[in-house]
Amino acid sequence: MKIVPLVLVMLLTILPARADEQPPLTIATWGGAYAESQRQSYFRTFTEETGIAIREALYTGGIEPLRVQRPPGERWDVVDMTMADHRHACAEGLLQRFDHRVLEPAPDGTPATADFLDGTYTPCGIGHTVFSMVLAFNAEAFAGPKPHRIEHLFDAEAYPGRRALRQEPDAIMEWALLSYGVPIRDLYSLLSTDRGLRLAFDRLERIRDDIIWWQDPAEAPRMLIDGEATMATGYNGRHFNASVVEGAPIDIIWDGQVYEIETWGIPVDADRPDAARAFIRLATRTQALVDQARYIAYGPARASAARQVGRHAGTGVDMRPHMPTHPANMERAIRKDSRWYARTRDRLTERFDAWLADG
Amino acid sequence: MDRESARNTINTLAPLGTVARKAVGVVAFGAITGALASLAAIGFVAAVQYLNDLLLISPRSRMMTGDTTLLIVATLVVPTVGGGIVGLFNRYLIPGGRAHAPPHAIEAAQRGHGRIGLRGGLASAVAAILSLGSGASVGQYGPLVHLGATLGSTIGRWTRGDSSLGTVGIGCGVAAAIATAFNAPIAGILFAHEVILRHYSLKAFAPITVASTLGFFLANNVFELTPLFRIDHIPLVNALDFLAFIAIGIGGALVAVAFMKSVLFFGRLSGRLPVPDVFHPAIAGLVLGFMALSVPEILGMGTETLRFAIIPDAFGVRELALILVAKIVATALCLGFGFAGGIFSPSLLIGVLFGALAGYGLGPLLPGELQAVNIFAICGMAAVTSPVIGAPISTILIVFELTRNYDLTTAVMVSVVFSNLVAYRLFGRSMFDVQLSQRGVDLTLGRDKVILDHTPIRDYVTTDYVALEPEASCREARRRMVEADAEEAHVSEAGGRYLGTVNLSWLDAAVDVGQADAPIGDHVRRPEVILQVDTTVWAAFRRVGSFDGHAVPVLAGGDDERLHGVVTEPALIRAYLDTMDNIRREEHAAP
Repeated sequence: MKIVPLVLVMLLTILPARADEQPPLTIATWGGAYAESQRQSYFRTFTEETGIAIREALYTGGIEPLRVQRPPGERWDVVDMTMADHRHACAEGLLQRFDHRVLEPAPDGTPATADFLDGTYTPCGIGHTVFSMVLAFNAEAFAGPKPHRIEHLFDAEAYPGRRALRQEPDAIMEWALLSYGVPIRDLYSLLSTDRGLRLAFDRLERIRDDIIWWQDPAEAPRMLIDGEATMATGYNGRHFNASVVEGAPIDIIWDGQVYEIETWGIPVDADRPDAARAFIRLATRTQALVDQARYIAYGPARASAARQVGRHAGTGVDMRPHMPTHPANMERAIRKDSRWYARTRDRLTERFDAWLADG
Repeated sequence: MDRESARNTINTLAPLGTVARKAVGVVAFGAITGALASLAAIGFVAAVQYLNDLLLISPRSRMMTGDTTLLIVATLVVPTVGGGIVGLFNRYLIPGGRAHAPPHAIEAAQRGHGRIGLRGGLASAVAAILSLGSGASVGQYGPLVHLGATLGSTIGRWTRGDSSLGTVGIGCGVAAAIATAFNAPIAGILFAHEVILRHYSLKAFAPITVASTLGFFLANNVFELTPLFRIDHIPLVNALDFLAFIAIGIGGALVAVAFMKSVLFFGRLSGRLPVPDVFHPAIAGLVLGFMALSVPEILGMGTETLRFAIIPDAFGVRELALILVAKIVATALCLGFGFAGGIFSPSLLIGVLFGALAGYGLGPLLPGELQAVNIFAICGMAAVTSPVIGAPISTILIVFELTRNYDLTTAVMVSVVFSNLVAYRLFGRSMFDVQLSQRGVDLTLGRDKVILDHTPIRDYVTTDYVALEPEASCREARRRMVEADAEEAHVSEAGGRYLGTVNLSWLDAAVDVGQADAPIGDHVRRPEVILQVDTTVWAAFRRVGSFDGHAVPVLAGGDDERLHGVVTEPALIRAYLDTMDNIRREEHAAP
């Protein structure tokens, strides 16, 4: 068991000597502020330690990009996907099996199996960063009591104003049912029944006239700032940037956050699977995840790193309360059921579109 | 002096050592039994969940499949095939031909022997997993209770090698199972006492408490089972609302009685069916499948339906009534036709549906904000469930432990009391007790009667009597009786068949009239009361009331007409006192 990491460490110490001859490692990831945080925290370190340069390829979601035939040398070695897509790709045989013994234990010796959050281990990879869909609001829009529970999204009397929602059933359905007091663990079971879907749409119906839809994640905070909406859903990192880095009056409601996990995987046709594994080992180290959390408000998916989250690199703001994984934010958090979504997407979208057309 | 004080020290220390050892023993016994029963319960629930997902019974798996044709086929085929397999279990693996259930545990505890067969218990548990896994409309708590009882009884008997710990073990296993399944440790302790043991002794209470606590700990901290229901918002209760809770209690009793009678009815129907028993569960499965095509809520435990029922507006009134009736029929069919499973969870669902229905009817009549359907649904649930399982106090505590709300618990208490009063009059103490009395174990007159009714007089029969042959002369007979200081002698023919009894005073009279040399055959009379070795103490008591001799002849039993011995009235009284002593010792035992 312990041999594997040992051999890797030996490999890593030998590799730099031949650095010049090394072809680069191709990593497919999301670009923008997210990729920047990855560059700052572990792409650079990886190149320093191994001498292997990193070539970034832009990945924007879905599993189709993995089906594309690429010439040797341009093939993707590592891909950073959402858990739902990752699982889908794994089931389709587009990703290699992953041996989790490659993962490093926490600095205090806690084995990786006990350190990574539940649900991060997949047959084809390892989840590393937690991001979430949250409800946020313009703090200046409410003179009286401010919304603080997910139920308030559906209560336009007490909390008036337009709601900016992403035009997809994801998260909205969960919140609608949660607002009836359904226990979180039963959400997806109940959403699997006609009755559950009907109840969810009933809730949504209450605010139908107040909804404006967004498609591009960047629109959500902008709609709040411009006063187009008083509440908006969105990725917590975007809202964090708008409020903390740019100083907009945006507050996040963590109640009912729907979190998902970004996951590393290695495509079956990777040019350099060994170096890919070495990269994943390095990029999921406790320190690497701690470093990344200085640049973006996405939470490390291992406990030892989550405990060490410090201050934002630019503003010096304490990042801990802004992480989806912060204990106070996790009180009523929903883990997105990626398997359920992977298999119900078409029917769900159909019902959702029918409801949209109904109004 | 020194020696004296040293002895005193030893005298005070020795009991302390014993106390410590006994305390450790009690804790260890409770912990081992509780852990095993709790783990078994967790494994059981997980296995059912796994099968439900695999076999397209759970809504989640049905939604994820989405293939309508496949779902229709699965709805019809899965319960039918599941029933077929359960039928084979009934036929070949389970002693008695039907899955064992809580009544078996109650009987073992009430009769004091504490024996539950391991093989029958485990086979019944597997049959229940298959039944629930394939969507039968039955419950999981009964099988969990019986599985816990089986493990507890087995461990208890292994520990001591006699029956004294068997009953305590049953209590431990049952308490741990309930504590695990409901996340309710106090209710687990009470359920074991209220339903199974029916007495409170410290000897049983201490290990049962340990077992129940451990079950709760495992369910909560290690495996995180979801609680059965959770209610966030409980509206304020007005004084007038209690009238509604009373009405729900009475209505709930009627629903409970209708439900229990339906189960018994389908059981009788199954008995009259001109088809071999082994096929009955499969028939029930097929019918269930067809019903489920239009009312899918009746499949399996119906956890989702239970959750929806406490959400206002999740159901229309007509829909509620339809599901309520369909669930009663489906459950009665499945249980009556031999699927393995309990009656507890279906009662919860039937009750919650009834309560919600009553809530839509009663809510608008009441002042205040109590239009919320959830409080009525919970009251209905408790009102229907408690008389079915015969556990009013445990039901109230389950509600309290799950909601931790006094207002709601008080409301539930009122409903439960009225429901039990009515149901007791109309039906009996519980489904379990009625099933037991159909099997000849009548608990209505108390434990002592049950035990006396199951203790044979064999051990109290003496062979110390004067045996004569019919050819013996009156003089000879008289001489032998005087020698033995006996007033009666018992006469059997050469082949051993018992003929009757002769009395010393009759022989005296015969000798007086000069028949001293005649054979005694003419003087033999068959006494009015003749017992057999397997006659129970209770039955013997009832019959010796009309007996005027000294000792009652006891035959070997069955077709064997030979005289086994005789039993005297003092011996019967000793049997009675021994039994009562044993009960008292058990019920008042310290650990």
